[in-house]
Amino acid sequence: MTTTDKQMNDYLAQLRTALNGMTLAEREDIVEEIRMHIRERCSDPRTSIEEILAGLGPADELAQQYRTGVLVQKARHSISPVVILRATLRWATTGVEGFIVFVIAITGYLMGVGFLLLALLKPFLPKYTGLWVGPGEFSFSVRMGGTMTNPASPVHELLGWWLIPVCLVLGSLSLAGTTKLIQFLLRRFRWKVPFITTTHARPAMMVM
Amino acid sequence: MAQPKFSAPEIETSDKWEAQMRKGCLEMAVLATLWHGRMYGLEILRVLKRDSRLVLAEGTIYPILNRLRTEGLVQSQWVEAEAGHPRKYYELTQSGRYRATRMAETWTDFSAGLGLLIEPVLNDKKLERAL
Repeated sequence: MTTTDKQMNDYLAQLRTALNGMTLAEREDIVEEIRMHIRERCSDPRTSIEEILAGLGPADELAQQYRTGVLVQKARHSISPVVILRATLRWATTGVEGFIVFVIAITGYLMGVGFLLLALLKPFLPKYTGLWVGPGEFSFSVRMGGTMTNPASPVHELLGWWLIPVCLVLGSLSLAGTTKLIQFLLRRFRWKVPFITTTHARPAMMVM
Repeated sequence: MAQPKFSAPEIETSDKWEAQMRKGCLEMAVLATLWHGRMYGLEILRVLKRDSRLVLAEGTIYPILNRLRTEGLVQSQWVEAEAGHPRKYYELTQSGRYRATRMAETWTDFSAGLGLLIEPVLNDKKLERAL
């Protein structure tokens, strides 16, 4: 095996490892395409393997661009909060817009999960779970020390058992609304999302 | 006339804006490159460089093509090449052709409108150089 082959194989092995999370077929397809790219570029005797690998960038950064692109694409069509949160988290690493979208996503999903949890807790903690209102108070929460049977208390529970359907509706709306909003933002800023700035050298007119 | 001096942050902001603008055009450029027929990754890079002065980092084109494929805008196929090793060729799908057309129309309208707006800026710049 020549030094060139060894350097190429080492690079491709790193790329294959860094593409974890993708299917075996996807990974091998990507690795083969990059292998063919390197071989074709190597056919020019003026170009060294070091230059070619530098042009491709570090294997983990190249893999990250693939993973981000696929993840964002999945998130645009997925209704899974996990997939959407992973995509926004990846986006958050690329700039301020991504970070803001991530904060919106995490806030929306936490609200949704919070409402659903309250609906689930109501049968088990009926006296402590509810919509609490009073002077300076208006919150859906589990409140130790409150009671739904004492409306004269400064802070009292308002909804009673209606809390369950109200929280189920609000929770579902929060989850669905957050998903739709993030999918809209992923489409709206589609060209900004999948690119991760790489650190290798580039000419003045180059786009990374 | 003395050339105005620009601070480093101003130049950096200008570079960033240019980089963002180019990124925004990448998808359209790649789809337009494939308009006349199928091509493989390295060939697309060369055409972009030759015809549009859009020089991509070599590692950038493949993730873009992969994303366009998952979006259904292009389709790919491995083909045995005369060079002795197979190449992965990409070609536009119907959706890809539609998207490329829409993008080209939008780009033309947008740049024509903006061209009128920036014309005085460019004219003044020419005048400054002449002086």
